[in-house]
Amino acid sequence: MTARDAIARFVDDGDTIYAGYTCIAFGLCYEIIRQRKKRLEVVGGSVGQQATLMILGGCVDRVRSGYLGGALRPGVITEMMSDGRLRYEDYSNQGIALMLMAGALGIPFIPTRSFLGTDYLRPEFAEHPGAYLGDQKWAEMESPFDGQKVVLLPALRPDVAVLHAQRADEEGNVHAWGHQGDSKWAYWAAKKVIVSAEEIVPSSAIRSDPSRTIVPGFRVSAVVHMPWGGHPTSITGYYDYDYGFHARAMRAVTRSVEAYEAFAAEWIHGVEDHAAYMAHYREVFGQEAIDRLVATDGPEPELPVRYTHAPTLGLG
Amino acid sequence: MQYSEDYTLAEMMCVAGAREFPKSGVVLLGMGLPVITGVLAKMLHAPEIAICTEVGAFDYLPRADIPRASIGIHDIILNDGSAMVSDMVDALGSLLMGGNVDFGVLSAAQVDRFGNLNTLVIGDYRDPERRLGGTGGNTEIACLAPRVMTLMPQERRRFVPRVDFNTSPGYIDGPGARKRAGLEGQGANIVVSTVGVFGFDTADGGETGSCEMVLEAVFANLSPEVAQSECGWDLRLAPTVAELEPPTVEEISLLRRLDPYQFYVTPGRY
Repeated sequence: MTARDAIARFVDDGDTIYAGYTCIAFGLCYEIIRQRKKRLEVVGGSVGQQATLMILGGCVDRVRSGYLGGALRPGVITEMMSDGRLRYEDYSNQGIALMLMAGALGIPFIPTRSFLGTDYLRPEFAEHPGAYLGDQKWAEMESPFDGQKVVLLPALRPDVAVLHAQRADEEGNVHAWGHQGDSKWAYWAAKKVIVSAEEIVPSSAIRSDPSRTIVPGFRVSAVVHMPWGGHPTSITGYYDYDYGFHARAMRAVTRSVEAYEAFAAEWIHGVEDHAAYMAHYREVFGQEAIDRLVATDGPEPELPVRYTHAPTLGLG
Repeated sequence: MQYSEDYTLAEMMCVAGAREFPKSGVVLLGMGLPVITGVLAKMLHAPEIAICTEVGAFDYLPRADIPRASIGIHDIILNDGSAMVSDMVDALGSLLMGGNVDFGVLSAAQVDRFGNLNTLVIGDYRDPERRLGGTGGNTEIACLAPRVMTLMPQERRRFVPRVDFNTSPGYIDGPGARKRAGLEGQGANIVVSTVGVFGFDTADGGETGSCEMVLEAVFANLSPEVAQSECGWDLRLAPTVAELEPPTVEEISLLRRLDPYQFYVTPGRY
């Protein structure tokens, strides 16, 4: 499926969307902006520049995360948080990861021993300018079994998760490797999952190494073949973080609305899809800028992995 | 031992922080300065420690010819040499909350005299002067690690009597407060700044003692007065404030090699 079709079909205005920390589906986020989706809630333990751009693009009115910003300082966004255009609920990386896990497990809440002793739990801070969850944000209790204090976090079931991975097959089985942040639980918690992949491979290739599969295809609504789909962020084994692009192009966006509009006109709305975006990148910065990002340094498995079994059980 | 004669206080902070790592055990590195300091420690002083991050790297072993320290904790270079890579529920759940971490390393925008940290807002949470990026995993590391080191440049606006918002509890408001909040004791905690190394006045993880920050050592050629002048409360001094050994040529040259883009140590600051 194309990114255009996947986002048009599976992302609705008003949805809660996971757009997380590592394995970032940047190309799919660009497409969300391109289609001018509205009133989205972005969730993820830490959400970086992909969230910044979707907020500045007018797609987002709520954020539930432990971190918002990344390499882009949220200057303009701070104003939006103060004047109510962007509502927010502050959690933490562990908090969101556990909430996604609870959503994946189908349980209503999950206890943590984090947040105890912090100002997050002070009653006077429950009503802050961004608040939208009220008493649904969390609760404190003592364990009925041993009396230990815990904080209860509500399960998080995003309407849709957008994720980027190394490879997938046409059935939606996804191979992902390298550190995963909170993405693994987003794959299981979201009602709909859209995956962009560097490579689409035969199903036999996925099934020959099933321990590397992060989610089975029956959980996945759409697979999009999107080389460089994580750019300007990184994906293990393919390419690294593009700090040069940040410095030369993207960092400007938080300076002013006009600076964002100029960036979006060139890099989002001015290109029809992610392939055109990369072609434009090549025109502006040259093939050598792309070559410098290619992940060539580091290990490959030294030993083969076999999933072999005996054809008989000593019975034949 | 050949000492470096050309170094900044920010570099000395990283060097002093690296020296303070335990010689063994599991360490969980937060965003920012903890990463480069941890890699420096692992390569120079504490080869036995198992470096982990909340994004999902476990027992990261940097190659001797590593081209840089990880830039942040999401950097895919952490997949190169880790014994296991996994996810955040494993790292902040099974590893940290499950009780498998010995030493957490953090940085923040503000620290106060009880070692509480603020990563979220400057000013009143309900009407902030400035929003910061946010806490990431800082909160749970501060809540749950049995011992914490905090690294941050020493300035009056950062070393404040009371953090504007306590995202990450140290001793909260004094003796017994961690236990009352439902947390385990913690310590011996340390803070390393661009002036020196601080401990806390408690011998039992925050149950007794004043639990206030105490200046224990200053960098070479600096005095306790410098620490006081860049601290927003009346600083307690150890009976004898030691002077730390200056950085060696080896420490500074490795630190610079690990930070080729000056991501961690910005020239001209501190």
